[in-house]
Amino acid sequence: MATEAKLSHTAAMILQAINAGYIYGFSVMEMTGLPSGTVYPAMRRLERDELIRSNWEQQSIADAEQRPPRKYYKLTRTGKVTLESSRKRYPLLAKLIPSEQVESI
Amino acid sequence: MTRQSTSPFRVGNLALLRLASLLVPWQHRGEWGREWRSELWHVRQACAAGIAPSWKGEREVAAFCLGAFQDAFYLRRQVRHKKVPLASTRGSAAQCMLFLVAVMAVSYCFALLRPGVRAELLALQYRVPQNLVMIQSARNRQDLGPTISAEQVRMWKGRRQQIFDGFAFYQIVQKPVSTALHARSPLRIARASSNLFELLGLPIQLAPAGGEARNELPRLILSDAVWKKEFAEDPFVAGQVVHVGLREAVVSGVAPPGHWRLPGKVDGWLLDPDVDAVSDGVGFVVAHLTPSAAQEQWSERWRMSAPTPDGTPDDFLCVSLAEKTRESWDLFLFAVILAFLSLPATTSLPLGEYQLGSRKLSWSTRLRRWTFLCGKIALLLPIVYLISLDLAYTRSTLDTLSSEYIQLVSAFSLCLFGLRWALRDQRQRCPVCLGKLTHPVRVGQPSRNFLAWNGTELICVGGHGLLHVPEIPTSWFSTQRWMYLDPSWEILFPESGLVSTGYF
Repeated sequence: MATEAKLSHTAAMILQAINAGYIYGFSVMEMTGLPSGTVYPAMRRLERDELIRSNWEQQSIADAEQRPPRKYYKLTRTGKVTLESSRKRYPLLAKLIPSEQVESI
Repeated sequence: MTRQSTSPFRVGNLALLRLASLLVPWQHRGEWGREWRSELWHVRQACAAGIAPSWKGEREVAAFCLGAFQDAFYLRRQVRHKKVPLASTRGSAAQCMLFLVAVMAVSYCFALLRPGVRAELLALQYRVPQNLVMIQSARNRQDLGPTISAEQVRMWKGRRQQIFDGFAFYQIVQKPVSTALHARSPLRIARASSNLFELLGLPIQLAPAGGEARNELPRLILSDAVWKKEFAEDPFVAGQVVHVGLREAVVSGVAPPGHWRLPGKVDGWLLDPDVDAVSDGVGFVVAHLTPSAAQEQWSERWRMSAPTPDGTPDDFLCVSLAEKTRESWDLFLFAVILAFLSLPATTSLPLGEYQLGSRKLSWSTRLRRWTFLCGKIALLLPIVYLISLDLAYTRSTLDTLSSEYIQLVSAFSLCLFGLRWALRDQRQRCPVCLGKLTHPVRVGQPSRNFLAWNGTELICVGGHGLLHVPEIPTSWFSTQRWMYLDPSWEILFPESGLVSTGYF
């Protein structure tokens, strides 16, 4: 697949972070250490290439926690396949952002 | 410092986001802003939530907000790339515009070859035309006829003037012009005051460099046409003595073509210092306003009352030469307005009757379509102006009134035809890529018109949609309809690069 071959290390890292449970922009920034000017455009590219998809949090949940609702990102099926091949290409990816942290979020 | 005192930072951060949002295409701006404001809230909670202000925290928040500009730029580029390119096939919008530009260039070149049109185009005007007026009797509504007697001019010249500081009189007579060698045919000669050309600021070609050889004789200025026809373009014509009627005159130059714009078709000008003294009958008068009078805000036509030679006052109409030299443009504008008013009677005006469903074209696609239509009309108008001038000045023997009629009629007809064409052409184009619709197919039968679809289907070769044009307008299908094709049709079209969902 052409998209898999083109995935940069940064994009792969963001994909890995989302897969690991860092599902909104700021948490991806914190996890990867990348600035906002890199993370958000990269997430838009990934969404355009249908590797991730986004949805807004329910207003009632945000109201209950007295904060604005967040936009959450989630890997698509294609995104998961692409991440698998990216892990092979970048072996340190899984060590940088371990997937088991999902449970801790 | 309390928590309240940090609000300027918050306001500053929100202002940054607001500024960045201006870069985001409007259709994404709402959601984009919502996401960034939401994230900002969480960033602020994480970095600058303490009671005391933390400069480090505020710096981090500001850095986060500055990243919004990169995101906005990216989104802007992404949306731009989604724009559907214009069709590049035969009959594309670019080809249409190029064709119109070519026609305009040809018309312009052709117009430059005709002296009369050239004079109109290059705005060959008299020196300070707003300070020059033609005086005519207010009782005589006919603009083209002579109305002022030589005696009247003599009287004006003899009195102290507050409004005018110069008068030139001319009357047109038919006189045979002959040299010592050849007898010539009768020519239309303007017997004029010697200051006529100086007053108007008209140039004279082939004028003798060393002044007049025989100053006591009246000077004869030949028109360009007569110089070419009767004098065989003799470059040494200046200084020759000719007979104008029974009087001798010395040829002192040639008037370049197109510069004479005053009433009367003239083959030559006999400049005589005593013209108003020796003439009888009526003629035309050009007057020059004094500097103080010129500074006042005169309209282009105004009346004045002045005494006549018999002692009674009379009304005179003063018409600025600035108005006279603008007549062709005014006529053209009048014809264009008439054509626009007549257009609804000749064709239907709407272009937006394509929509069948609720899907709407994007703002940029609609803007592009309207820009194309306006561009066509903008190119069409100069073409109409140039061609109407070409037709009006086809024959140099036509008088001014005939030329004006021809210009008015031709400008109106061409403009109406052109506008009709522009609208019909627009309706036969794909609203997305502006390519010409092709492959018309007849569908249905006239006998089944009220039971089934009967008409013509045209298709966009870019695959954007089908246009259904009803054969007979019915209450349920009165105007043409456009059916958009979604990207699943892409495989059928060779120009698949044109297919995109980006136009909605």
